[in-house]
Amino acid sequence: MALLVVPACLLVLALLIGPMILMFRISLNQFSPTQLMVQALSPDNYIKAATDPYYQQIILATLGIALLCTLLTLILAFPAAYWLGRMESRWKSLVVIATLFPLLVGNVVRSAGWMALFARDGLVNTSLLKLGVISAPLEIMYTTKAVIIGIIAVVLPYMILTLSAVIESIPRDLEYAAANLGASGARVFWRVILPLSGPGVAAGSILVFVLCMNTYATAVLLGGPRFKMMAPAVYDQFVRGNNWPMGAALAFMLLAVTMAFTVFGSVAFARKYRTG
Amino acid sequence: MISRRHFLSASAGVAALASGMPTARAEGGQVVVGTWGGDYGQLLSDIIDKPIMAPKGFEIVQDVANADPRKTKLLAERQSRRGSMDVSCLSDNDAYIVSQSDVFEKIDAAQVKRLDKVFPELKSDIAIPHIYSAQVILYNTNQVKTPPQSFADLWDPKWRGKIGLADILYPNNTLAAALAGGGGVSNLDPAEKKLMEWRSLDVKIYPSNEALAAALKSEEVWLTTMWLARGFMWKKSGIPLAHVVPKEGTPAIVFQASVPKNAKNKAGGFAYLDAMLDAKAQGGFADKMGYVPTVTDAPLPEDLAKQVSLTEAERARLLKPDYAYAAGRSQRTLDFWNKEFKA
Repeated sequence: MALLVVPACLLVLALLIGPMILMFRISLNQFSPTQLMVQALSPDNYIKAATDPYYQQIILATLGIALLCTLLTLILAFPAAYWLGRMESRWKSLVVIATLFPLLVGNVVRSAGWMALFARDGLVNTSLLKLGVISAPLEIMYTTKAVIIGIIAVVLPYMILTLSAVIESIPRDLEYAAANLGASGARVFWRVILPLSGPGVAAGSILVFVLCMNTYATAVLLGGPRFKMMAPAVYDQFVRGNNWPMGAALAFMLLAVTMAFTVFGSVAFARKYRTG
Repeated sequence: MISRRHFLSASAGVAALASGMPTARAEGGQVVVGTWGGDYGQLLSDIIDKPIMAPKGFEIVQDVANADPRKTKLLAERQSRRGSMDVSCLSDNDAYIVSQSDVFEKIDAAQVKRLDKVFPELKSDIAIPHIYSAQVILYNTNQVKTPPQSFADLWDPKWRGKIGLADILYPNNTLAAALAGGGGVSNLDPAEKKLMEWRSLDVKIYPSNEALAAALKSEEVWLTTMWLARGFMWKKSGIPLAHVVPKEGTPAIVFQASVPKNAKNKAGGFAYLDAMLDAKAQGGFADKMGYVPTVTDAPLPEDLAKQVSLTEAERARLLKPDYAYAAGRSQRTLDFWNKEFKA
């Protein structure tokens, strides 16, 4: 049976671990403006990335945005996931497909849509101006709120589908039993549904958090040039600065922070879940 | 004894000669051109590949990518006996950086026949100048009645919040700031103070040239510094713009083409460079993209010339980049732009 996982593992080893080893090696090289990269074995790029206040600020901002988006996504996704998880209609598969539908559109295309909505002369501003709600266009594009809206729109389906699968597996009888014993709807949610959907909350949150940490297109297109997140900073070093060693070091720093938070979250949840 | 196969191939050859078909195809061979896609790649295909190279028997294959992957490929392949490109198209700054690793063949008139027609100030020993343009001030004619005459004028507080810059052109915006502060192509130091002053005047930054064009169109901003060629394309798309060649000088950008030392078809590569300098082809690029011919015998129609060319006096103010200085300072320029100016 164990042999069944071999092809997938080999694929991951070849396509993920292999390039990562190569990139780690690059991160130890040194940048040269004319030769682009000089062979070396130096931790300088990591020291610079970890000690430069500019990158410290970016990593903190990225963490803040990712945590906020994860929390907001969880709050927005839960009611929809509950509804979907409890649905018994023959249209359920269509609703699942509809939930998946936004994932069929690439991030760049989706962000372009948001740009058309949020622009100074976009649909939102034009409509509000025509209705007389505002007298001057709102600055929505190139703001943090535009990025948060854009990111949540991207990750929401992942959270809904993960949660709904878990909620579906919680026996309906437990809710009836709690209600029968006099629990209000809110109490049933807090004492029955939420604890039992814990694995879904954890899995969905980790998935969404990782996606948020690595946001690139949404941050660049909706946040504009002044908005700072790690993935665009990595791109900047690789493509605009041609500084592959620094770009690789920043990529590993992003990976390390994301992994640390993911592992911490998983362990904390597992401990809580084990102890009830 | 003549076999059936020999007879058929000999007959085909005779028939081809008789019908005047080009027979040099095998002689010319395949030429791989590393180029940008989009309008540039399409125009190369329409104006050079099909009408000039194909009749000479060359089969052109475009290796489409942005400049950075192309630079990386050239550097990664430099130790290989056979590279993947016969022609590499890069901007002058990028070509300089790559050439430091001794990647390109030297250009001389024996290989590129039309080299003697190239404007002397655009010549380089590792590339031919294909097209060029100059960094000017663009302004919205509806809103700006007294246009600025110099880069320094863009720091006038009356333009507060009305100047937009393209983020991707940060080296050029930095150079404009240096020129405004009394610096130059070999001295970007004054740029840092001027950029911070610009920041305090609420200069707006847009992620791409297209986003900047949209802001100019919606009159969110009224002024910018940009390639004259791009201004021409924006005007053609209906944005009410005019340009000023700044007093301090107008930095040039030259899009070049080179033949890598390890090209498989060097003769084909040089033939391609020669075709890029063809007078008719040069006119075609000016008409479609607004970039100015680099050769003396490709005069443009008067109306087009007025929009995309520089006058003699303006050409005298053309500033050739100090490639070595810009390359050596590239990381500092990017860091200042990101960490201080955009902070």
